[in-house]
Amino acid sequence: MYDIAIIGKGPAGISAAINAFARNKSVILFGSDSKKVILSPSIPNYPGLPDIKGVDFAKRLEDHLSSTNVETSSKKVNAIYSMGNYFSIQAEKDVYEAETVILATGVDFKKSIEGEDSFLGMGVSYCATCDAPLYKGKITTVIGYNEESYKEADFLSEICTKVYFVPVFKMEYNFNSNVEIINDTPLRFEGSMKADRLVMKNSEILADGFFVIKDSYPVSSLVPGLEVDGPHVVVNRSMETNIKGLYAAGDITGRPYQIAKAVGEGQIAVLSACDYLDKKASQ
Amino acid sequence: MAKHVTDLTFKEEVINSDIPVLVDFWATWCGPCKMLAPVIEEVSKNLEGQVKVVKIDVDENPQVAGSYGISSIPTMILFKDGAPVGKMVGFRPADQIESAIKGALGL
Repeated sequence: MYDIAIIGKGPAGISAAINAFARNKSVILFGSDSKKVILSPSIPNYPGLPDIKGVDFAKRLEDHLSSTNVETSSKKVNAIYSMGNYFSIQAEKDVYEAETVILATGVDFKKSIEGEDSFLGMGVSYCATCDAPLYKGKITTVIGYNEESYKEADFLSEICTKVYFVPVFKMEYNFNSNVEIINDTPLRFEGSMKADRLVMKNSEILADGFFVIKDSYPVSSLVPGLEVDGPHVVVNRSMETNIKGLYAAGDITGRPYQIAKAVGEGQIAVLSACDYLDKKASQ
Repeated sequence: MAKHVTDLTFKEEVINSDIPVLVDFWATWCGPCKMLAPVIEEVSKNLEGQVKVVKIDVDENPQVAGSYGISSIPTMILFKDGAPVGKMVGFRPADQIESAIKGALGL
């Protein structure tokens, strides 16, 4: 059991990790280098480092992080469950446990399909392996944003009578014969009690269930029960979320999307987590 | 311990129950359902005497799952006097499940 698990390896996550190390906590940091930092041609407003290039700043963050004993993992975190006194973190096929979690995953600007959030769990699912057996002998649609979605469509085709596949990401693949590929742009889900129709630019698909398979999901589905406001997590001044022991920092908490703000929030979040851990230990 | 119910015992255990019943729809192949299991036990303990908590395997009991339109699991449905009064889809921490139940029942 780790004291602190940090999800995200951008400035907020690394700032949290450095401060957790200073407080002598056991830490695991999940994530890969921030593309947003690396792609910045220059950073004009980070105090003390005027006009540093994004790649150089990323290098400095990495060097600072590697001067600590913080354990890192590039595994993708799929879900974080609050078990009451600790968190269970599912990273690919492994499960990690931590007493506190700091969410620092940044913001995802990719838009969801209209109605995706409101129909989630009512005809729309993010997890074919979880919900596929409920659609045995029925018609499903997969909206695929990545390589994995091709395999999920194939998997579904073994239990469903028919699978429509709407590729948003394209690659060569040999599907089973009951998979029909539809090249169109998804716009919105429609239905009354549950989603039963996907409206696209030029056509429509009727199905019993819809699976949206992509790399990053809304943060509320990463942490079930987390209070969010649009793409942002709701936090107070101590960076506490509505879930006890769970904190958030950086772009994920809202605007402005700036490195200095992210770094400051990462520090506050981890110090709040340390206070929480100390209180818990003294009880 | 949350009791397991089936298509056959659902009416007697849930519909005809004297007190409200929280039903956890789950299956063995569902990861989030496994995570929810200890949480459900905690809710069951904390609300003992006020709310009965039961579990139903949707794979083995397709009738009940079908009649309540379960399209994603885990799903929790709260029954009062034989009728559903609230529904939660997906994993939730124990305190959120408890406050939703208390809110729905006015406890």
